[in-house]
Amino acid sequence: MRVTMPARNFRSSASSVPNNVSIKFYLFLILGVLAVAPWTIHAADPDIKPGETIGPQNWQRIQGMVGENLLSRIKSGYTLQIKPTKIYQPLKEYAEATEKYSGKVRLGPDGELLNYVAGQPFPKLDSGDPQIGQKLAWNFFYRWLGDDYKTGGAVKGGKIIRAAIEKDGSERRADLVSYFLFPSTRYSLNPKPVIPGYEHIDYIQLRVDSYPRDASGTTTLETRYKDPKRADDLYIYLPSIRRIRRATTTQRCQTLAPSEFNLDDINSFNGKITDFNYKYLGDKKILANISQENLPFARKPGDYLPLNEKWEVVDTYVLEITPKDSNYCYPRKLLHLNKVTFDTHWTLIWDKRGEYWKEQFGFFTPVKLADGREVWSVGDVVIVNVQNGRSTIVTATRAYNQGYPASMFSLATLQSIMRGGSIE
Amino acid sequence: MNWMRQKFSTSAIAVLTTALFCGSAGGQSIFSDDWEKFLEEKVSFGGFIENTTGVSISHGSRFFNTSNRFIMNRFTVQPEFNVEFHDSLKLFLSWRFVAEPRYSAETKSREASVQPAGSGGPLPVDFWSEYKGVPWEAVADIFPADRLHLRLGRQFISWGETDGQRLLDVINPQDLTIGPPAAVNLFDLDETRVPQWGLRMLYTIRPVSNTIFEFFANPGFEPKKQRVDEFMPTNDIGDGRADGDLRYGRWSSHPEDRVPVARLLATPSGPVPVVVPTFSRDYPDAGDNWKIGTRLTHNFGELNVGIGYIWGYNPQAGDMVFKTKGIGCLPPATGPSCRIGAAGPFLPTTVSANLVNDRTNIFAAHLNYPIGDPLGIPIKSALRGEFAFYPSKPYNVSEFPARNCATGQVLTGALAARAGPSCKHSDNLVEKNTLRYALGFDRSTFIPFLQDDPWRAFRMSFQIFQSIILDHEDGIRNFGHASKIKKVTTLLTFRVGTGYLGDTILPDVFFAYDPAGYYAVNPGIAYQPPWNENIKISLTTVIYGGHNKYSGLGFFSEKDSVYLKLRYQF
Repeated sequence: MRVTMPARNFRSSASSVPNNVSIKFYLFLILGVLAVAPWTIHAADPDIKPGETIGPQNWQRIQGMVGENLLSRIKSGYTLQIKPTKIYQPLKEYAEATEKYSGKVRLGPDGELLNYVAGQPFPKLDSGDPQIGQKLAWNFFYRWLGDDYKTGGAVKGGKIIRAAIEKDGSERRADLVSYFLFPSTRYSLNPKPVIPGYEHIDYIQLRVDSYPRDASGTTTLETRYKDPKRADDLYIYLPSIRRIRRATTTQRCQTLAPSEFNLDDINSFNGKITDFNYKYLGDKKILANISQENLPFARKPGDYLPLNEKWEVVDTYVLEITPKDSNYCYPRKLLHLNKVTFDTHWTLIWDKRGEYWKEQFGFFTPVKLADGREVWSVGDVVIVNVQNGRSTIVTATRAYNQGYPASMFSLATLQSIMRGGSIE
Repeated sequence: MNWMRQKFSTSAIAVLTTALFCGSAGGQSIFSDDWEKFLEEKVSFGGFIENTTGVSISHGSRFFNTSNRFIMNRFTVQPEFNVEFHDSLKLFLSWRFVAEPRYSAETKSREASVQPAGSGGPLPVDFWSEYKGVPWEAVADIFPADRLHLRLGRQFISWGETDGQRLLDVINPQDLTIGPPAAVNLFDLDETRVPQWGLRMLYTIRPVSNTIFEFFANPGFEPKKQRVDEFMPTNDIGDGRADGDLRYGRWSSHPEDRVPVARLLATPSGPVPVVVPTFSRDYPDAGDNWKIGTRLTHNFGELNVGIGYIWGYNPQAGDMVFKTKGIGCLPPATGPSCRIGAAGPFLPTTVSANLVNDRTNIFAAHLNYPIGDPLGIPIKSALRGEFAFYPSKPYNVSEFPARNCATGQVLTGALAARAGPSCKHSDNLVEKNTLRYALGFDRSTFIPFLQDDPWRAFRMSFQIFQSIILDHEDGIRNFGHASKIKKVTTLLTFRVGTGYLGDTILPDVFFAYDPAGYYAVNPGIAYQPPWNENIKISLTTVIYGGHNKYSGLGFFSEKDSVYLKLRYQF
């Protein structure tokens, strides 16, 4: 079943506002933000008002603004409420870096990024630019994510909580923590913008499983290199043998069972940017939740839908991702990128038969930095495999800029893990 | 180290007690708010409870038929605590409580069937049980500086990356009493190895290149344990009771081996062509079982390499050798012909020998490297290699055909044997330079037509192990089963596993093949119910075979078995 995006939800060239006008408007907005003021997320769709309730009686009002699976749940009785769109203050340091470095950034012949230092690579976007898709992809990849963060760090208990839900509603829980270090794009913590010696690394991720017991202590160390031709490094510490094993990251499509995620689904899209082709499909208003109130959100046991969370209207870029490798699992993936934060709210995936396969929505929530400034973080993320009926919910709120030393992200750390232990 | 063990024990009991007290729901804790906060935020608790039932499926022999076919019914409880005192000080404690009821039919069977007839004794009923208060693991992780990590306590230290077989992972001894060999799907390696007290230090010289210096010191001091299941035919009588009982475990060698093994150590003194062995396990004294090691690892681009060195006590069962203590006659026979009196009957010769661990030098190295698509070929594998060089590694040596070393005459007639003691090496020991290495290839592969989820990968692992005695000499034998050790011995392994139905069903097969004609297959399938992540039920089979049941993996050919394991994690 192929999901088509109703034309009215895309601001295509046939719409009343030309694309270039729209882009210029947002460019103006972003540049304004970069210069002086906060980034602002607008709920601009006049049709959907805060306070409205969407349910089986009026599902048509949000058709195309949510994934088809959620829409079918609404048709079947699920209701959601609309709230005003949350406005975040931007990170001044990121804006300054964008202003300072973006002027020299270029795309290479294979879509690689040249002369990039920090900040948003391409703040000036033109819908007529044939490379706008690639530029959006890089803007997504280098969106602000702090200098480091602990996923799960802003949740009570300090861990990511993952629930794998079967079609019949039975659930299995797993807990883990994940630490990211961005050693070459640092905005707040010294040394900045790069830790000496780490110029060639985009990020290093350290992930530790802590529950259930048999998985507890399993730790992975993954390194993403800037070199577009160099595959990620992946080492796994297995507590059952108390040793580190090298793994390949070439099979990025494999399902990380019992979840419905694979390696490239992490953070909506975690593939190597240069391994894919990108096409900008237009702008779109979608329903999202960028101010999640409860972590994790309340839900019925065995179901993945939030009960007491309200939704917001958010402006996004729609980016189509197709792989250069014809054997890749996802021949088509759509990201809906927040126009300000470049985070993804909805991710839609089709299989090789062209049938709708998975949809993923990510909630965001405000979190505070150590100095009290408010920023945004992913909250709960839901991925639903509409073909097999399984779903996975991850509560993964981040604690940013924790000041993790680079030495924490080495093989020595993997050897210091015990079952159930943490690494901080 | 005794004070340290005692201290750890005391600490552990204190932590356990506090955790138990504070676990009373609804009751008022006897501790202050600070304690409650500490226990809630800094102490975590986990572990598992498990039952493993094993049934023999092989036809057995008259020596190892256990009468009833239950060969294992083991209950294990393993509580584990993590305590984070401070960012730079953490404690991990676990206890392992094991109870395994024995069956009188089994002990009677063994008592009646060992050689020499009537000399056997039943195994103690609590042989496999462990109720010790000493923690299974008790480690203090100390981080005195950013890049320095010290781990002090009873711990596992593992080097290398091999799967199922060990090559550089030779620091902790392996407890061969717990499960059959080459059965990686039955018990995890961390359950089958024996943790040891010691210190491990890791210093990260350069994090970005994973340049890490490591040092460990392992003073040993493990209490002696009757490991009759070690596949060397120790048939231990050196258990402190000196009762002469011959003891056989589930996976000890064929008792028939003892006779040819004894003939490798001694030539019959009289006309009776039998040498009765008295084998003891000689444990090193405190101070003799120290082990230290050091290693340096570094990344050269995508290549990760390490070089290391281990010196000291070698705890590996397969590396042990016999040291002859004395040759005599079966009482009451005496004299050079082992005769009772001047005209009485002749009795067999006896030989007593100790099975000893050597002190070893191991020069070690490892590497791993990801292989993507060289020349457009989608290899997409992780290559790993391990190398261990043992200079002057001791081996038992014999001579073929067997000779009378005093006269040089080849033994003939009833005394003739295929092989006998070495006349060149009077202690039947030689030292040879030995290189062991392993190469492994790990790959994840999609086989869509075999899967419910076409993107759930099959994990495949292929390994080749080789041991090369560089200055090999004819007559070197594995005295565990009296078979020759060739200059080059090889073992190939293959493992494949995947998950079905959201990883609720997890099949895994481990296959080991020795080109000399032996094999082991260890298929297992686990079920993890979709409604509870803490429950795991697994069914595992171990099957051995080969052209000779007295050598290699054929050694276990009559010990095929199937196991049902129920585990609840908490």
